[in-house]
Amino acid sequence: MRFSDIALWAFTIAFFVFMILPIAVVVVISFTSAGYAAFPIPGWSLKWFARIFEYRPFIDSLWVSLQLGVVATVASCVLGVPAALYLSRARSGWATAITTFLLSPLSMPMIVIGFASLFFLSALGFGVSFLSLAIVHTVICLPYVIRTVTAVYRAVPPAYEEAAQILGASRLTTFREVTLPLIRPGIAAGSLFSFLTSFDNLPVSYFFGSAQTTTLPVVMLAYMEHQFDPSIAALSTLQLLLAIVALVVADRLYGIEKMTVAT
Amino acid sequence: MPNLVHLSAGARRALLLAPALIFLAVFFVMPLADNSARSFLAEDGGFTLSRYADFLTDRFYLGVIAETVILSAVVTLISVVIAYPVAYVLVRKAGRFSGLIVFLLIAPLLTSIIMRTFGWQVLFARRGLINQWLVTDLGLLDAPLRWLNTPGLAIAALVHVLVPFAVLSIASVLQGVDRRLEEGAQMLGASKLRTFFEVTLPLTTDGIGTGAILVFMIANGSFVTLVLLGGGFQTLPLLIYQQFNTTRDFALASTMSTILLVIALACLWLQLRLLRRQGV
Repeated sequence: MRFSDIALWAFTIAFFVFMILPIAVVVVISFTSAGYAAFPIPGWSLKWFARIFEYRPFIDSLWVSLQLGVVATVASCVLGVPAALYLSRARSGWATAITTFLLSPLSMPMIVIGFASLFFLSALGFGVSFLSLAIVHTVICLPYVIRTVTAVYRAVPPAYEEAAQILGASRLTTFREVTLPLIRPGIAAGSLFSFLTSFDNLPVSYFFGSAQTTTLPVVMLAYMEHQFDPSIAALSTLQLLLAIVALVVADRLYGIEKMTVAT
Repeated sequence: MPNLVHLSAGARRALLLAPALIFLAVFFVMPLADNSARSFLAEDGGFTLSRYADFLTDRFYLGVIAETVILSAVVTLISVVIAYPVAYVLVRKAGRFSGLIVFLLIAPLLTSIIMRTFGWQVLFARRGLINQWLVTDLGLLDAPLRWLNTPGLAIAALVHVLVPFAVLSIASVLQGVDRRLEEGAQMLGASKLRTFFEVTLPLTTDGIGTGAILVFMIANGSFVTLVLLGGGFQTLPLLIYQQFNTTRDFALASTMSTILLVIALACLWLQLRLLRRQGV
């Protein structure tokens, strides 16, 4: 191996130590037997996972976050999939402009979206409610669905659909039997990103906190500002586990390569 | 009511697009416009530019804008410099390890910012692992250092959040470089190093630019890391957060959000120009 290769690999390994270390430390601490968050840990225990279920706000907000993630993802698919179907086949300049517009929530500062939406939705009478949260989360999740479905559908040759129609299939049958199965990996990937984005969101959810609408990340932030115990680590580990399970399930169903095409 | 089946192709297509467009027009554009409008609204209900005049002539607030942009620029620069060699290894050297590298890049993206911040706080605590290594194990320091609430640690944590985006976008550009151009340069006698600096790097600058703008835009809006890790920074998002929490001067917060929004729009415009030049 040449010297430059060794240097490159050494740099890459150091990079991944930097990337993984802070995360690995939190995973280990979530299994600590100590009453405080420190590394290395004196012994192993599951008591901090039990603590999650004893502290009401964690469980209540976890439930809110799960519901919110599902609602925002379903809404994003309902709004986003038809738009993506149209935009992937359009070639005109204004179709590009519309795509840019539909993806633009990704580029705007989240804190501004959250702050502005709070005032706007309050003026409309929605106030601080689950519905308001669902609307704002859909705004930030929609681009993920549009982006992934557009990428997948663009790679599908129109010939498949044309063939179905020449053979006499109606538009609806063509969509159900040909188009939908072909774009399913895009919908799966988009839904996955959408759910994880919603579930993890703090800067937008922060503005919509109330007893009924506080999401898990907001509760975790508030908890961290007052105490520093391993229950936050246990919750984070659980959250990471959920994300990995979702990724593995999506991989089993559709294959990760197909989904990375979409990212 | 017109029969759906007999709609023209154009109308049917418009129906596909309409829900998403209307939704974002009402719940994305209107809130932002409403928010900016509030910053131009005078006490008596008229139009005023006084908030911007006050804001842009105040040394403190000018400093805040400068600090926001400079912090994001520093984080972006560090991210891109770190990301390039990693992306290079991923595309050119990794071979059968490339799957593992992609997994290690994606895994941190699945973790919450709270989790990572928690990790930094534990690692760099006074009696944390890093101080223990430096003082007890390696003997490099006589006394533990105070890392938490320093600008350096906050920057490192921001880089940690943003660098995977830089690696992924640089890797995708490197993948598109025609290897024959590099081979040609080497056949004509250029060294590997010279080939890299005179062929590979120039071919990827536009891609680096798009990746850098992406990182810069996310950095500009981030505040959770700074809230939890401190570092003494005064940035626009942090001030908006504080205005909302404590001072509750919503007109001022609207003014600051509008300025942040204008910076974001400028970045978006720049990114589109770069993308168009690449012919994507």
